[in-house]
Amino acid sequence: MTVKIVTDSLGDIPSEVAEELGITVIPLNVLFGEGIYRDGVDLTTEQFYQKLIKSKVLPTTQIPSLGVFVQTYDELAEETQEILVIANSHKLSASYEAMVQAVGQMKRQCRVEVIDSQWVLMAQGLIVIAAARAAKSGASLDELMALTRKNIPRTDARMVLDTLNYLEEGGRIGKARAFLGSRLKVTPILGIRDGEAFPFAREHSRARAIDHLYDFATSFTHIDEMAVEHATTPDEAEMLAKRLKAKFPKTHIYRSMVSPVIGAHVGPRVLGVAVLGDRG
Amino acid sequence: MGQTKSINGQDLREMFAAATTWLEKSSADIDALNVFPVPDGDTGTNMLLTMRSTIEEAQQATDHSISGVSQAMAKGALVGARGNSGVILSQIFSGLSQSLADKESITGKELADALTRASTVAYAGLSNPVEGTILTVIREAAEAAKAHAATVSDDVVLVVEATVNAAKESVANTPTLLPVLMEAGVVDAGGQGLYTILEGALHYLKGEMEQLKLRRPWMVASSVPLTAKAPQMVGVEEVPYGYCTNFVIKGEGLNPDKLRKRLEKRGESVIVVGDDSVVRVHIHTLDPGDVVSYVVPLGTLHQISIRNMDEQHRDFIEMQKERMPAVEVAIVAVVVGEGLSNVFASLGATFIVPGGQTMNPSTKNLLQAVDLVASEKVIILPNNKNIVLTANQVQSLTQKTIEVVPTTTIPQGVAALLAFDYEADMETNAQNMNKAKAAVKSIEVTRAVRSTRLGGLDIKKKQAIGFLDGDLVAVGDKPDAVVQDVLTRVKLDEAEVITIYYGADTTSAEAEQIVAAINEQHSQLQVEVVQGGQPHYNYIVSVE
Repeated sequence: MTVKIVTDSLGDIPSEVAEELGITVIPLNVLFGEGIYRDGVDLTTEQFYQKLIKSKVLPTTQIPSLGVFVQTYDELAEETQEILVIANSHKLSASYEAMVQAVGQMKRQCRVEVIDSQWVLMAQGLIVIAAARAAKSGASLDELMALTRKNIPRTDARMVLDTLNYLEEGGRIGKARAFLGSRLKVTPILGIRDGEAFPFAREHSRARAIDHLYDFATSFTHIDEMAVEHATTPDEAEMLAKRLKAKFPKTHIYRSMVSPVIGAHVGPRVLGVAVLGDRG
Repeated sequence: MGQTKSINGQDLREMFAAATTWLEKSSADIDALNVFPVPDGDTGTNMLLTMRSTIEEAQQATDHSISGVSQAMAKGALVGARGNSGVILSQIFSGLSQSLADKESITGKELADALTRASTVAYAGLSNPVEGTILTVIREAAEAAKAHAATVSDDVVLVVEATVNAAKESVANTPTLLPVLMEAGVVDAGGQGLYTILEGALHYLKGEMEQLKLRRPWMVASSVPLTAKAPQMVGVEEVPYGYCTNFVIKGEGLNPDKLRKRLEKRGESVIVVGDDSVVRVHIHTLDPGDVVSYVVPLGTLHQISIRNMDEQHRDFIEMQKERMPAVEVAIVAVVVGEGLSNVFASLGATFIVPGGQTMNPSTKNLLQAVDLVASEKVIILPNNKNIVLTANQVQSLTQKTIEVVPTTTIPQGVAALLAFDYEADMETNAQNMNKAKAAVKSIEVTRAVRSTRLGGLDIKKKQAIGFLDGDLVAVGDKPDAVVQDVLTRVKLDEAEVITIYYGADTTSAEAEQIVAAINEQHSQLQVEVVQGGQPHYNYIVSVE
């Protein structure tokens, strides 16, 4: 029996990929004024960013109630005896905590293991995709856990932000606070270290910041999985993906959009690259 | 959301119990905000301990009316209060209980009145109330509660919601009222603590128990951006903070107002609250023995706590370091002009040594800076041709490891600094910075000090002269025209960003004219104007 793979919507896995690989994605919620939207379900990424740019109130995000996680597990338990749940970084949201708590409240008998991916965005997504592929070809839950734990430190990501305001406002600035207060208009390039935002570099122009993403991706010598994602700048993402494809013609480059939940914290015009692979 | 017309004693106890749980989740974050009155990093912890004592007492209350519960809470807060914010918090509970006396349950309007009373009592406990603190937050929150109850709705939940919203806004605004917060780029810790408590109470009233369990309190972001302070050349003389001294006096015929006046001569941040039988004292003093001896004859002393704030301050500094990326490598930059110094500081230079073209720092100046920074590895950015050699000499005079990135202009220095990578080691950083500095073109425009002939150009005294990467290439009467002249010698089609730093004697209006001229011909360029404030140079321009 195949192990079922569950994750949350912060992994930005495109729905067709999730469907193909049998990944169950639990949507997180976005609160915009009075409205509550399920990430990627009630509100498309495009609609969200249009609202974000126009709205004076900043959106906040929340995880769904515990019952949603419990129900998801119980439903899957009808088809399988083993579930692997891969959460986004517990330092960035309470998903992991809820995913673990939900295991104890299940009605059905099923072995469920929860792993903190320590990532969000497609970095989390690539780890989940790798696990789902292995599950499809018959790997056991123990093998999948070992694989996932091995893949977490092999994953890395960078994103170009337009501004740090959203991150600061939302209280998720982490060590990227070092880049606050710049008297020059600079484009920050962030990544994640130890589960929270980390300031890697800054460039004086967006074009050069995008070059930085390219240099980052091409610093890998072996690539298992790669993804390019954006929020409101499809052309830039397209250009970057093309450049990377020219450099790595054999690699499939996943294309995705930054989910509203993360979008609420990083703001529009975010552009990112995630790689699961090895360097040097 | 259902209508909640009134709340009783049990509601009051439960909502503040929930608030305590909520506060607990962010007490460490609140500790990290703490810069006023002493940056000792314990505000969140102190408020939490005060709340715990408040709730313990409330749970033991035998009178379950809102009057009885609030009296118990006030008592618990008073005996359990710790630190500045804790004592002020105890005053807030004292004010609430005064207003709620003899009541079984209350409406939204009565709650608003009680908050107003709480605000008045909080202010009364201090001889010098400071705005931009928890005091401002309780006052503005109470005002909002009152306005809401009077004009919109008497519903308790809605009144508390208006209170919480106002508190949040008030917290965000604290840096504009209290300069020390502005400098540190943080909001007031006590204010954040109070906001968190009110928000926790609101979650309870709305029945959001799962939120309380799974979510974390929001840390309010400062409404003003962080302004990094240029590091001082000379270390500020260290003033000791002394001892944070807290105790409760129990006796008869005590007079809190009189005692406060007496204690003010013996220390700072004095708070004396209570009644004629129980008084709580909080004071920062260099001699706690003197304070204790003074109060011993007044009654019996309880819960005496004396903490060394200098030690706390050191721990706080350590804690702050953990919140920033670990920087193994420090950067010492030579810069003159307030605007330029701010630019370098805001981009992460650890230490600014004042100096430039007509003011070359000595090797000793640079050595002092290198010795003062905490890191064992130091990168020096001389930012001037004449200072590179001086900088190179520092290595032979110090045990620390020095790398000089030989920047000869301000634009090169900025480009190098931008390339600094918090994760990389010193060698990699030096390489990256050298590479970055090479990619920038520098234009400097100044006035000739005497008439001369240089580089094939006839120059009259006081004419504007323009340099491109250190070479004299243009002369003219007007500095802005010379900037544009030099710009024609740079391949602007390949450039992306131009930054214009205008000097102390130049207006921003003139600089903006250059921007307009550039935009007319090269619309693809991102042009930024920054007040550099540098002497002698009308313009320093970087082209990248």
